[in-house]
Amino acid sequence: MKTFKMLFLALTLVSMLLVGTSYGAFPKKPIKLIVYTKPGGAIDVFARKFQKIAKKYTDTTFVVVNKTGAGGVVAMKHVLSKRADGYMLAAVTRSNIGKMVSSKSNLKVDQFNWMAMMVSDPEAVITNRNQAINTWAQIVADAKAKGGNQLWVGPAAGGNDHIMALKTWQKAGIKAKWIPYGSGGKAMAALMGGHGVAYVGNPGDVIGKPDLKVAAISSKNRLTGKFANVPTFTELGIKNHDSEIMWRGFMTKKGIPAEAQTFYDKLFAKMNSDSDWQGYIQNLGANPIFYKQAKFTSIVKNDREVFTNTLKEIGAIK
Amino acid sequence: MDLINNLLLGFSSLAGWQPILIIVAGVILGIIAGAMPGLSPSTAVALLVPFSYTMEPGMALILLTSIYIASNYGGSITAVLINTPGTPSAAVTTLDGYPLTQKGEAGKGLGTALVASTIGGAVGVLILILFAVPLAKIALQFSSADYFALALFGLATVASMGSGNIAKALIAILFGLLIKTIGIDPISGVSRFTFGMDELYDGFNLIPALIGLFAVSVVFAKVEEWKMGSKGLVEVSNKLPSFSEFWKIKMTILRSSVIGTIIGIFPGAGATIASFISYDVAKRSSKTPEQFGKGSLEGVAAAEGANSSSVGGALVPLLALGIPGSATDAVLLGAFMLHDLNPGPLLFRDSPEIVYGIFTSLILANIIMLILGLYGNRAFIKVVSVPAKIMYPMILAIAIIGSFAVNGSLFDVAACIGFGVIGWLFKRFGYPVAPVVLGIVLGKMIEENYRRAVMMHGYSSFFMDKVSLVMLSLAAISFIYPIIKQLRKKNK
Repeated sequence: MKTFKMLFLALTLVSMLLVGTSYGAFPKKPIKLIVYTKPGGAIDVFARKFQKIAKKYTDTTFVVVNKTGAGGVVAMKHVLSKRADGYMLAAVTRSNIGKMVSSKSNLKVDQFNWMAMMVSDPEAVITNRNQAINTWAQIVADAKAKGGNQLWVGPAAGGNDHIMALKTWQKAGIKAKWIPYGSGGKAMAALMGGHGVAYVGNPGDVIGKPDLKVAAISSKNRLTGKFANVPTFTELGIKNHDSEIMWRGFMTKKGIPAEAQTFYDKLFAKMNSDSDWQGYIQNLGANPIFYKQAKFTSIVKNDREVFTNTLKEIGAIK
Repeated sequence: MDLINNLLLGFSSLAGWQPILIIVAGVILGIIAGAMPGLSPSTAVALLVPFSYTMEPGMALILLTSIYIASNYGGSITAVLINTPGTPSAAVTTLDGYPLTQKGEAGKGLGTALVASTIGGAVGVLILILFAVPLAKIALQFSSADYFALALFGLATVASMGSGNIAKALIAILFGLLIKTIGIDPISGVSRFTFGMDELYDGFNLIPALIGLFAVSVVFAKVEEWKMGSKGLVEVSNKLPSFSEFWKIKMTILRSSVIGTIIGIFPGAGATIASFISYDVAKRSSKTPEQFGKGSLEGVAAAEGANSSSVGGALVPLLALGIPGSATDAVLLGAFMLHDLNPGPLLFRDSPEIVYGIFTSLILANIIMLILGLYGNRAFIKVVSVPAKIMYPMILAIAIIGSFAVNGSLFDVAACIGFGVIGWLFKRFGYPVAPVVLGIVLGKMIEENYRRAVMMHGYSSFFMDKVSLVMLSLAAISFIYPIIKQLRKKNK
């Protein structure tokens, strides 16, 4: 009888210990942070900055893993192929949503837990300072004179920047041609060489390139710092064109344990108010933000619809 | 004077044992990565980016650029010794490098590749230091029509590769171009021939295709022969070329270095196209063109001088404008940004110690590469004496690991084996495989620039633009001339 009691006591103790460790004890091991570009890509730099600054707030290590292919679709499928234990976080951008649609993959927004949108980068029309046409007013006048033959350069058709261009033309009542390049960098080179009138990207693209200037941004308010003198479209008389953005954020597979969710919510909140983190994002000419699940998910759903409609319109998908 | 002061500033930032060790480490890593099929220069640099994050910005960039320049040379080692290009641009090096090994003159092949790489690398860096800004401005003037013409000129070099049978070379290049139509349409964004496979969305990866076509195909051919034996592949001498042999090819090395640098400057062209064009030019201007493809030192020098000098060229738009000139540059751009630096004209003003530190470290890296290469060659050459029954299974193993390493995907391994079968069939029926690589490399450049030029200014743009017109005419001549020559020979 005595041994039975002792055994019972021991078992109770052990089970209490087990419960104790599993409760509120996320994370127990390093977390993989999936990035959909090679090391050195813009989102890779973003993830590594996050990794470095997060060290202030958690003892857990984030291990950046690069899973490239199909503009992020391969990375997203990789996330889905693993268990939803919270140990795999992915850095995502708005362009991933476009690729979900254009690659005709069967990925659904609902399969993921859109955890935190951390950066809002206003879309911008960028011009070459050395060309005669470099302000928004000049672009409009030239577009009208050329009657649809004005050339705008930018990255691939059907992406964020192309959609921004299409909306801008529609709202300003002008017509122009979208000339796609293999990458934003090559398109900027074309603008510097005078092969087009405008480039569509984000304010950060002109940093370190004194020949280029931001002619207008799609934002409710002006940016601060080095872009404080850039006018918004509203100021330039184009209405309802103030919320075209490129966002960056983090997601996991849907259905992660509650303690993992709590851990991430706290971590992202702390990151968002960190001065190094804010400084890094503001230096890119973007806004640090923190939209939680509900808002982020609805933005993603809306983006998916926008991409689907635009890609149908330009004939990239049926 | 400014330049000299800045270069002195650059050299002073390299004082001490740490920077020198970093360059030595970078060169060794670069040579190994370059020689390793599957680790292209851009992958090699990308692998070290996370590692360099914790280093001082100047040291980090010195490490990465040393890897960049050395890996372009490293690719030639396996190309010469086992007919497996370690980097895409070394596909051209195999054309004459491997025949040298088969003749038992591997030492000459490796030595020529090393010296041409060193001189090419140095010429590229010198042009970068002296003329980066004006050259970058000229490169910007190039329109899509000009890029199309340049790519077509590259395509025309196929005529000098068929070793006699132009029809077969043409079929091979068309095959490469067709392969490149798989994947997303560069202009409209529609996915083509992907059959719903995500892996094909970006088309076939170049590296697994390259390894399959060159390395795996040879393994299959050997399996078919069924004569493995325990002897080494060939008896080789590690004798370097004599000084008089080097002196004979001095012009080829210099010419290919200039060609490589110039082509490297244009964003999107790159080392592989530079090597093909330089090889073509060398063959046309050679006194012994019949030796090309059979182990010509000129052929090896033309390919290696061009791909190593293209590194300096590709750094021109990156450093002078902040525009990446090659895939490796795109990775380097990210490395700059990780350290909160923005390459471009302002970097010269704000952080000259970094820019000129890179310049001077590149010069040093070239010298260190020469020294390490001379010692290394004696060791590398032993590879050829490994018995065939061990060698070929090893090649297959490395090919599989290498293609897996590109993206950690089994699809790439399957693609590599598939291209191995294709390469084996090609060789069996006397079709050259190098033009397939040329087709894959140029396919996208030709297509997107052609369509973009037409979208921008209509069909006439190719003839209205002077640069494009001149290059198109050159392409036509260089393509048609060998055909006429061949026809004449037949008639006689």
